[in-house]
Amino acid sequence: MDRRAMLKLVALAAVSPKLNALQNAAVCHMDDATAAAPATAYKLQFFTEEENQLLDQMMEIIIPADDHSPGAHAAKTSLLADLLIFSDEDVVKKRWRSGLALMQKAAAHSSLASALDQAASNEENPQTELERFFVSLKQMTVDAYYTSEIGIHQDLEYQGNTYLAAFPGCTHPEHQDAGPSEKLKPS
Amino acid sequence: MAKELCEGGAKVVMLEAGRGVPNWELLSHRWPYKLPFRGLRDEKQAPFYQGDIRESIRYSDSDKVGVDRVRVVGGRTMHWNAVTLRYAARDFKEWSTQGIEEDWPITYEEIAPYYERIEQIIGICGNDDGLEILPAGKHYLPPIPWRCSEHILHRATIAMGIPLIAVRKAVLTKPYDNRPPCHYCGHCMDGCDVASIFSTPDCMLPKARATGNFTLRENALAREIVVDNEGLASAVSYVDTKTRTEQQVKADVVVVCCSTVESARLLLNSRSPQHPAGLANSSGVVGHYLHGHLGTSASMYLDELAGGTPSNQDGATDHVYLPRYNHLSGKQNYSGGWGIQINFAGYMFPHEAYRLPGYGRDFKENVRKMQPGYLQFGSFGKVEARPENHVTVDSNRVDANGIPIPVVRFRFSDNDRALWQASNQSVLDIFSRMKGKVFPTLASSPGGFASHEVGTVRMGKDPRTSALNGHCQSRDVKNLFVTDGSCFTTSSEKNPTLTIMALSLRAADYIKEQRKKGEL
Repeated sequence: MDRRAMLKLVALAAVSPKLNALQNAAVCHMDDATAAAPATAYKLQFFTEEENQLLDQMMEIIIPADDHSPGAHAAKTSLLADLLIFSDEDVVKKRWRSGLALMQKAAAHSSLASALDQAASNEENPQTELERFFVSLKQMTVDAYYTSEIGIHQDLEYQGNTYLAAFPGCTHPEHQDAGPSEKLKPS
Repeated sequence: MAKELCEGGAKVVMLEAGRGVPNWELLSHRWPYKLPFRGLRDEKQAPFYQGDIRESIRYSDSDKVGVDRVRVVGGRTMHWNAVTLRYAARDFKEWSTQGIEEDWPITYEEIAPYYERIEQIIGICGNDDGLEILPAGKHYLPPIPWRCSEHILHRATIAMGIPLIAVRKAVLTKPYDNRPPCHYCGHCMDGCDVASIFSTPDCMLPKARATGNFTLRENALAREIVVDNEGLASAVSYVDTKTRTEQQVKADVVVVCCSTVESARLLLNSRSPQHPAGLANSSGVVGHYLHGHLGTSASMYLDELAGGTPSNQDGATDHVYLPRYNHLSGKQNYSGGWGIQINFAGYMFPHEAYRLPGYGRDFKENVRKMQPGYLQFGSFGKVEARPENHVTVDSNRVDANGIPIPVVRFRFSDNDRALWQASNQSVLDIFSRMKGKVFPTLASSPGGFASHEVGTVRMGKDPRTSALNGHCQSRDVKNLFVTDGSCFTTSSEKNPTLTIMALSLRAADYIKEQRKKGEL
């Protein structure tokens, strides 16, 4: 529990005399948003080192580092992909291995960036195996990045999953042309 | 029901197929990156789906529907969004007012006192909005403040002349019943570990235990209800799923509350010479009239909030509700309506990232800038109660405990499809009044049931088309009651839970009264 959460708990207890142990239990469960996940080294379970490297490069192209936040590489998205695919059905494993091989082959003719561009060209209506693989690859990158600490806290600057003694609601007058108290015609 | 009967002096044994999940086992607040699969394999939901509950079901000749059965002490009250809405008077009179389906054997006026009582027992936040389509109680806790996106939506609904109201939810906004108020973490559906959302284990079972009359048997999967020579319920046989042994508990009165599909399954598996078609099933109705809600989900990202500082995240999921309004527009080419729940999906994950084309720096920047403007709609529409939609049991396929599994057969009607199309259009119409990027539903046909399935052991006026009377009492077996959603005659667009609770309370009063008279 961080200091801010503790102060809020104290404030709430002051106005809510019936606060019981359940509330304390909730606070005990609030992970400190800034705490890092345990730094245990992950060992690849499905991809080879070469496949993981290729995957990592492609994922970084899809969600790259920019001025605002690190990208997929820093978020180690390829490692989550390895875990998820390792624990999935054989047909999914085959699809990924095959897709990576196709991408490798396409990149050998030009560049990885060009191969990715080619694979993404029909994203909304994929027709070829390469195009379908891109859709899966992008979704995996999105899933892995935006569930990572980097994605949630640094990129999106997500404010939820915290402890609020009261919900502030909208405090912007420009949004409130009509407040919730305005009555409409009864039906 | 258990609480009421215990407080009335009865000794009650509750058989629960699952085990209890104490609050400290819930993963509600766990960050995704601290979960083995980042939450992508439903790790947070796992405590509610015990045993083989997810696998032990089959669908036959069905549209895209899903029966989401939980198995845990407290059932669905452990894993719900807590929206609690009263049915309107017209919802009990579909035949009288619309010429479809059947009327319930009870009226709104008869159930209103029980709505009032249960609302006070469980604690509900919201307002009396003066709407005939959504009657209100007299004792609500303060409503939850609205988010920026909801105020912007309100401008649009005012311009359209349709109501947007503070949601009514069984979520505490101030201390109540010795439970603390919500702390707005946004994880209602992951289980509330502080009891701010109503749940049976946190709110009702302690009261039942306090009487000294209550016994809970966990991991007790009911196999069948046993009858005596007169055909009255005399005991419940169950499987202790931990020891894999057969057990039995005798009873003067049996109340079935297993959820719609499971209750029908239990009764159909309870065959005897006295009840060859299954218990309470001389009409052949048990299992039939399965229905629930059809739904659609769509979202938009408001330009007015794009690129802004993230705020108002997450709250208590939905803070506002858009009640049915199509009945105000005159006659339609379908019957029924829909209500729209808003912003119950949460802000942690940027769902727009799934729908935005492209990749690279621009894609990443767009996702980030759009996220604060997230506005999500989930409409829940009425589905017709028709006998051809049903639950049966497959005697050739049993679950891990040797009990025949349920088989669901369900097809949407022409009315259902027309209503679904209209509900989709209404969502787009409302979105069109605001500026932003719209992501409409990708579905080309309706899906159901949103865990709101009802109707398989329905009450009714006509014994040929109903298994229960207006007190949830079996017509065939006077000491058998069914008090979950399966007892519904028809369904409206409103979430069924509050009505289930009110019917259960009413049935409890009836049982107590009948026992005092010596009838049960």
